[in-house]
Amino acid sequence: MDRADGVTSRRQAPRNRLQAPGPELRPTAPTTGTVACPRCKRRFVAERYAADLNVCSECGHHGVVGAAQRIAQLADPNTAETLLFEVGDRDPLGFDDGVPYPQRVARARERTGLHEAFLTARATLAGNPVMLACMDFAFLGGSLGSGAGEIFARACEMAVEERRALVAVCTSGGARMQEGIASLAQMARCSAAVAEVIAARLPYISILGDPCFGGVTASFAVQADVIIAEPGARIGFAGGRVIEQATHDKLPEGFQTAEFLLAHGMVDTVVERSRLRDTVGTLIRIYSGRA
Amino acid sequence: MSSTIETTERERIAFAAVELARHPERPRALQVISAITGGWTELRGDRLFGDDRAVVGGPARLGGRSVMVIGQEKGTDPMTRALHNFGMPHPEGYRKAVRLMRQAEKFSMPVVCLVDTPAAHAGIGAEERGQAWAIADALLCMLGLRTPTVSVVLSEGGSGGALALALGDRVLALENAVYTVAPPETCAAILYRDAGQRARAAAALRPGVETAQRIGLVDELIPEPAPGAHAHASLVIAAIRGAVIRNLDELCAIPIDELVAQRQRRYREAGE
Ligand SMILES: [Zn+2]
Repeated sequence: MDRADGVTSRRQAPRNRLQAPGPELRPTAPTTGTVACPRCKRRFVAERYAADLNVCSECGHHGVVGAAQRIAQLADPNTAETLLFEVGDRDPLGFDDGVPYPQRVARARERTGLHEAFLTARATLAGNPVMLACMDFAFLGGSLGSGAGEIFARACEMAVEERRALVAVCTSGGARMQEGIASLAQMARCSAAVAEVIAARLPYISILGDPCFGGVTASFAVQADVIIAEPGARIGFAGGRVIEQATHDKLPEGFQTAEFLLAHGMVDTVVERSRLRDTVGTLIRIYSGRA
Repeated sequence: MSSTIETTERERIAFAAVELARHPERPRALQVISAITGGWTELRGDRLFGDDRAVVGGPARLGGRSVMVIGQEKGTDPMTRALHNFGMPHPEGYRKAVRLMRQAEKFSMPVVCLVDTPAAHAGIGAEERGQAWAIADALLCMLGLRTPTVSVVLSEGGSGGALALALGDRVLALENAVYTVAPPETCAAILYRDAGQRARAAAALRPGVETAQRIGLVDELIPEPAPGAHAHASLVIAAIRGAVIRNLDELCAIPIDELVAQRQRRYREAGE
């Protein structure tokens, strides 16, 4: 694909043409009816749950948040300009496990309204110019395919070009197995893109949501200046079930939770969703040398 | 019916290729290192927690230059296989590798990485000590290292556990090696929820190194005389030596700023 083509909207707008989230970017959680907290099962009116950022007011459980909703939660009101990086259709292996892989992607696109597992936006966050790169677990488990990798890499490059801090929200099951080795290459690709952000000495803040595993954790998710985890998020390289099966060891209490990783020195802080914008904003302001 | 037989046959062939790459008598990292270098002195430990025997490394002489050699070692018999954890590194292995790469950079010594792992170790301790963090750091280290780097995939390049040592300026691979996003057993467990369907996963994933070459993770294949490196270890090791030295000769002639920029551009595009 011609990279000079850069960003285009689905309506074939010119490079870097911006769009506010339209009706195609619908939030993952329903906005009508009621939603049950996955942990304590308490039911909420959907609007109220969304207003609480998908956090249960009863038990504090942090529910799944879609990428479009993430952008809305983190960006200052009316500042987010969603970037629709068109990455086309990819099927490096001609993969078919009953459903051809391109068809799986098409279905995910239809279901989520997203183009790939990453959605990016320019915005200001607590007044700071930022590039937001948010993963969506609803899009094939947030898996890191070559399209998702390309979007993240382009977001990094745009952050460098426009001197914006990079804020990534990572939630992923890991590699996109259907792309095989091309999926593995995304770890290198995204790392190379992060290296550009590092070289430009721009702040990079990574927020780890539930769950975050595999090649995403083992690359850009933890290459940030500051790693923030959401309460209760499960984060690691290999999944707990895989480890249990492979080693027959009993997993310790709270294994791979954000709090467990904090205790082991792997994340900088665990921050409740309602405090994310303030925390990230303060950090970027300090790193940028502003009062 | 005949298509079922064809499918079965295709899967059998694909998994046979994986088994060939896992042949216990293929050349291992320590064997290659002792055969192609002089004065190799193993340096152990990550200076942080421990010494991971799945990753070995140290300075040596190779083709008239001083180099840093880092390899993933699978072991050759039941005892050494257990000692080296079947080539599955813990975080300490990657941190040792990064320590040695930084040292190589300091002394302007090229780095030679021998990749041979089914995957990074999956275990409680590895997670507690940041397996993902160690791999992510090794990736960034290799991308920015200001000294020439050559990686050689000896037999099995599995997952991020292999990639962490495989972002060389040049990546060579033995012809019958495999390079995969995860071992076929793991892929089968994820894709079909059944690790037993590993042959099906192997057929679907095209694990041969030519796939990795096609997407830009491998540059050059080192031929193996039939039936494979396990039957011709010394020939294949000599070919590895020749290929590594030839590539180092070329890389050492490129100004370092240009080399690092080329490397970062290359991996920015890999898998596009
Ligand atoms: Zn609850």
